Order: sequence, then C-alpha cells, then structure tokens
Amino acid sequence: MILNVNGSRHEVQEGTRTLLEVLRDDLGLVGTKEGCGVGMCGACTVLVDGRPISGCLILAEQVVGKEILTVEGLEKNGQLHPIQQAFIDERAFQCAYCTPGFILSTAALLNENPNPSEDEIREYLSGNLCRCGSYQNILKAVLRAHQRV
Amino acid sequence: MNPIKFLEPTDFSEASSLLDQYTDDAKIIAGGVSITLMLQQKLISPSVLISLGRVSNYDFIRHDQDGLHIGALTKLRDIERSDIVKKFCPALAHTFSVVGNVRVRNQATIGGNLSAADYAADPPSMLAALNARVQVQGPEKKREISLGKFFLGFYTTALESNEILTEVVIPNLSSSARAAYHKYTSISAEGRPCVAVGAVADFDADGKCLDLRIAVGAAVETPQRLNSAEAMARGQILTDELVAAIAEEYSLRLDPLTDVRGSAWYRKEMIRVFVKRALQEVRNDR
Repeated sequence: MILNVNGSRHEVQEGTRTLLEVLRDDLGLVGTKEGCGVGMCGACTVLVDGRPISGCLILAEQVVGKEILTVEGLEKNGQLHPIQQAFIDERAFQCAYCTPGFILSTAALLNENPNPSEDEIREYLSGNLCRCGSYQNILKAVLRAHQRV
Repeated sequence: MNPIKFLEPTDFSEASSLLDQYTDDAKIIAGGVSITLMLQQKLISPSVLISLGRVSNYDFIRHDQDGLHIGALTKLRDIERSDIVKKFCPALAHTFSVVGNVRVRNQATIGGNLSAADYAADPPSMLAALNARVQVQGPEKKREISLGKFFLGFYTTALESNEILTEVVIPNLSSSARAAYHKYTSISAEGRPCVAVGAVADFDADGKCLDLRIAVGAAVETPQRLNSAEAMARGQILTDELVAAIAEEYSLRLDPLTDVRGSAWYRKEMIRVFVKRALQEVRNDR
C-alpha cells in the first residue's frame, strides 16, 4: 500500500498497524513520538489532510490516499519552518519529547485561525501535554510564530 | 496485531451486506478511535475490518423541516464548529467541543461515537435529552430507533449484527426552549466525563416550565432519564427549591457505577451538583 508522507509516495507493507508504527518503524520518521498510546498526550501528532490526528489512534490503512505531514516535512531547503524557529527562539522545551507534536498542532491551529488569542491557543493545545512544564514558553513561541507565519 | 482483512465498501448498503456476510468476525470502522484503541488493548480480535472511509455523502449537517440531520460520518470537530448546529442548539455544539481533544474530534465520527456505546462519552446524554433518533441501514431495509431505546448497556446497542448507523436526527426545538450540557471531569480537563448531564427545558411566557428532559450519563451504564423527576417541573416555576428537589431525585434514584473516575457514592453526590447546575443554566438562560 502507498502512503503520501511529507510530499513523497512511500510503499509500505500491508497489515493492520497504526500510522505511528508505520511512520517510525518502516519509514524511519522518528520525529513522531510515542507517548501514552491512547490519544491523550499528543506526542504522536501528525497532520492528515491538514488536520491534527493522533498517529497512535489511526490505522495506516485508513490514511491511504491522504496527505500526511510529520515534523520532518516542515523544513524547506534546509530552512526550519518559522514555527520550529520560534520554539527554539523561545526555548519552548526542556526534554523536547513533546515538541514535534506541539509544533504540528501549532501549524494546524495557525492554518485554521491565523490570529489566535492566548485563550484560543491554550484551548487548542490543551490536548498536547508537556511533562517538563514548558507551557509558558510554548505559549510565547506560538505567539511569536503567528507573527511570522 | 494479527493480520486483519481491510474492506472498503463505497456505500452503506454494501457495508451492511459485508457485515451480514462476516457477522461476528467483522467490525465496522468509521473514524477508528474506538476500534484502534480496542485493537491495541486486545479487547477485540476481528478477522475483518469494514471501513466506512470510502462511503461518501454521509458527512453532512443540514437543518430540514423536521429537525437537524447529521450524517453518521460527520466528524465531531465539524459538528462543534458548524454554524448550523450553533444556531440550532448552542449547547449541542458545546457538547461536541468538549469531547477529548482536538485530534480525537478531528477523527471521531458521530456515528462511531454512538455505535461504540461507550458509557463514558459526552454526546449520548445531550442527544438523549434532545430526543434524538438514529437511522440505521441493514442489508435489506432501513429503520429508525429513538436514542432512548438505542443504548442497551455497556458497549451494547439495539443495532442488529448487520445494521449500521447512518444518520442522527434531532427534532426541532421550540423557540422558547433552552438546552445545556454539563460535563464533570474528575481527572483532567480533557478527560472523559465522570458525570454527564444534558438538559432541555421549554417555558411559557410566564416562565412556567412546560417540558423538562434531563439525561444523565457517564455515571451510569446508559443515559438515564427519570420521568418522575421530569414531571416535577411541569407547569411549575423552576425555583431554587424545585431545582434542588429534582437534582435530589436524580441523585437518589440513579444507581451509579464505580470506576477510575469516581466511586458510586461520589457520583451520586456529583449527579446532584451537576443536574442542579444544568437546570439553573436552562432556567437562567431563558
């Protein structure tokens, strides 16, 4: 079966596996992390046709024919995406395990709502957990990113 | 996970025929949230998954003469954000906005949410209070089931083994009616409900309650309405005393369950609190 990931077509083995497993194990796209495994933490967030989805809650077979974006697909020509740069500039992480998920959720948020209020950012990102507690800096990074995107 | 055949019919009638053919070996997968979770936790081991991913024309929200119609394959996120739903019943849009997190709502469908019959869910209580009905498709015929008769128990519905939910219909509300949904979470804000209360009340010009419907879910196996308690409101002004008495009736009469989100005793206490708050909201919103 063929998956469209980060603008390229990838042939992967058929079978009932989560998108997360296929991305990490078959395609080596390990920017997508496994956290809770039940859709609560957001570490495995990927965009499917532009919408954030938990990679652990969806089967790879369900996303055949759809456009999948992982954190690896954000940079262009060696240049980090403005959201990625904003997370670095604001030091919006400690261990960074949650960061790819936060960055993709932010990308989806800004796509849907280019000028979100602080409350809207908090609400939208409430399903992404950061166990280091970098939330204040993440909020700053999103505010900085939306000025640049 | 073991290899599972993944079938992709293009309409409900074909899907239901496949279900009829494979019976107990098959599971329907719509958004896939519940099915993927259950597969991961090895709670189910189907040999066939019948995906509704290629079924078209059932992702819709429209307001017809007889009420609001929502296609079974409509994503919770689209219901939450729909201007049609917000105008029809703001509390209904709110109910969908508090399910899990934005990723779950982007993936989960209303048909899947109801068919999974997970007691710890938000939409069933609000929809039950709104007197919603569901349309279902079997290999030969379609039929309609009122939501009050749809949920039979834990993860059990009135769907026959070859039937699939295709559409949800919510009857029109009178312009004087008000609705509210109160979700109480005991673990984390984005978690599943410990207690869920959907309330709908209609009032006459003097503020007397013409009709009251309250469904309590998540704390019990299936959303529960109490005729005795609802009748207490009829023809009455919803005073603080009456609101408290109705809330007390729900707390007293329901037999809650114990799970990680709360004990039966605790839930009785919280049912009293949240029925009261939902009633106060519909009253004060008038």
